[in-house]
Amino acid sequence: MIADAPALSVRGLRIERGGREVLHLERLNVGATETLAVLGPNGAGKSTLLRSAGLLLPAAEGVVALFGETPRRSRDRVRLRRMTSTVLQEPALLDMSVAANIETALTLHGVERPQRRRRAEEWLDRLDVAHLAGAHAHTLSSGEAQRVSLARAFAVRPRLLLLDEPFTALDPETRSRLVGDVRTLLHEERAAALLATHDQTEAALVAGRVLILLKGEVAQGGGVIDVLHRPATPEVAAFLGYSLLDAALARRLLEEGAQDPAAAGTTARMAAVHPDAVELLDTAAALEHAIRAPVLNVGSAHGSARVIVDVGAPLAASVAVERVVGTDLRAGAAVAIRLDPDGLVWY
Amino acid sequence: MDLLAEAMREAIRLITTGDSDVYGITARTLAVTATSTLVAMLIGLPIGFALALMNFPGRRALVTLANAGTGAPPVIAGLAVSIMLWRSGPLGWMGLIYTPAAIVIAQAMIATPIIVAVSAAALMALPPHLRLQLRAMGANDAQYLWLLAREARLSLLIAIIAGFGAVVSEVGASMMVGGNIAGETRLLTTAAVVEVSRGHFGTALAFGFILLALIVAVSVVLTAVQQRARRT
Repeated sequence: MIADAPALSVRGLRIERGGREVLHLERLNVGATETLAVLGPNGAGKSTLLRSAGLLLPAAEGVVALFGETPRRSRDRVRLRRMTSTVLQEPALLDMSVAANIETALTLHGVERPQRRRRAEEWLDRLDVAHLAGAHAHTLSSGEAQRVSLARAFAVRPRLLLLDEPFTALDPETRSRLVGDVRTLLHEERAAALLATHDQTEAALVAGRVLILLKGEVAQGGGVIDVLHRPATPEVAAFLGYSLLDAALARRLLEEGAQDPAAAGTTARMAAVHPDAVELLDTAAALEHAIRAPVLNVGSAHGSARVIVDVGAPLAASVAVERVVGTDLRAGAAVAIRLDPDGLVWY
Repeated sequence: MDLLAEAMREAIRLITTGDSDVYGITARTLAVTATSTLVAMLIGLPIGFALALMNFPGRRALVTLANAGTGAPPVIAGLAVSIMLWRSGPLGWMGLIYTPAAIVIAQAMIATPIIVAVSAAALMALPPHLRLQLRAMGANDAQYLWLLAREARLSLLIAIIAGFGAVVSEVGASMMVGGNIAGETRLLTTAAVVEVSRGHFGTALAFGFILLALIVAVSVVLTAVQQRARRT
């Protein structure tokens, strides 16, 4: 173990499953107190990356080092794993009381009995589940169980937390509170963390840096805000919820809205439009410089409505729910929209 | 009904008067079947764990074999052990045929596939993310196996009860390899068969009652253990 070494360091990693490559990661460092969000759709290789970081998967090729050490033998892997904690989407609690679950984890880490009790109490309290200490683990709600699972993960004082979609299976209220709590705890504990998620808001709140995985490859990495506002490729943009338009179509839409398409330059072949950059106009106002388009679908996305209109290609607009409730805004209706040129990314 | 009443009276008489023959047979039955079950556990549980937790060529074939073995007629085990242990057979020099040891071997052959199949199924039924979580928590091999066994403890106990139930109620193999020698290899089941062939239905039924009582008693004890395990 090397002092000040990155918590996780990956070089030339290739993981295969059933002869097919499921993850390729040329280079990744996670600093000793850094939180990195691993963002991607289902099946992109997020869990695979976290499992590799937890030394739980054999690599076809490449090196995974934890805290500057590359384990060679099984016992080294076990020793290094004990410096990490994993929280899975399903809180895998053992068939015993809540307190015993946490004490069992501490036992595996060689913590002495009197300290085990004290530390279990401390962490159940910090995750607001102290009142459940005596309850049987299998009687908890999913939110309570995930809190216990997180308490267990933090109680062993890991230097690297591997959080594999810990919030995905929770209802929105529970999820929101827990995201906030984990954000605070990661800051207080000053441990490194990897958070796998497909939720950009979660990633932005908890992590400083984000790695976007698509189909087992790194599609983009960098500061959270940079990545969310400047997706590097159309594929990343599509994953982040941008609509992809042919560049000529996007220029025409800007012109129809009397806006300057100059930003496009002449070489761009494609444009990605952020849903916030599509403004739904009051049809009553009957604006001259607006694009009229039929509605394809009105759905929900992140606490607002998502209206998809047909401008020759599907274009998603983020709209306040109030604009939709009690109106005729549904598939087949015609609306007027305008694009905000600042919300377009050209490729 | 007369027969049943007479059998009841005979059973009560045999049990209450402390008929040494009956006690001897009952004690031997318990000793032999407990030993068989123990041997089957020692062989079957490690195989069950390996089949459930490891991946190796031939794993599926072994699982199929164990599953088939749970339904194999005890007579087959008896036949195989007889052939091996026969005085002129390959292991005849050991002189085990018609001894309690021969019965233990045959019964262990009957119980082992049951314990393998049920314990493997129990461990395979554990949620896959639980195994991952234990490894991620830094469990070494021994801790990993111990915690998994603890998670599956209720089902593992069922595996053992099923193995015991199969051997304590089996008659064909014990008859074949034990020879039903009075005072040496006579068990409750084989004794009942002999009494029936002599026309002593009352005595046969008495053995039957004792056998049933024995199975109920063992089940009560193991179920109590199981239910206590459930609460902790």
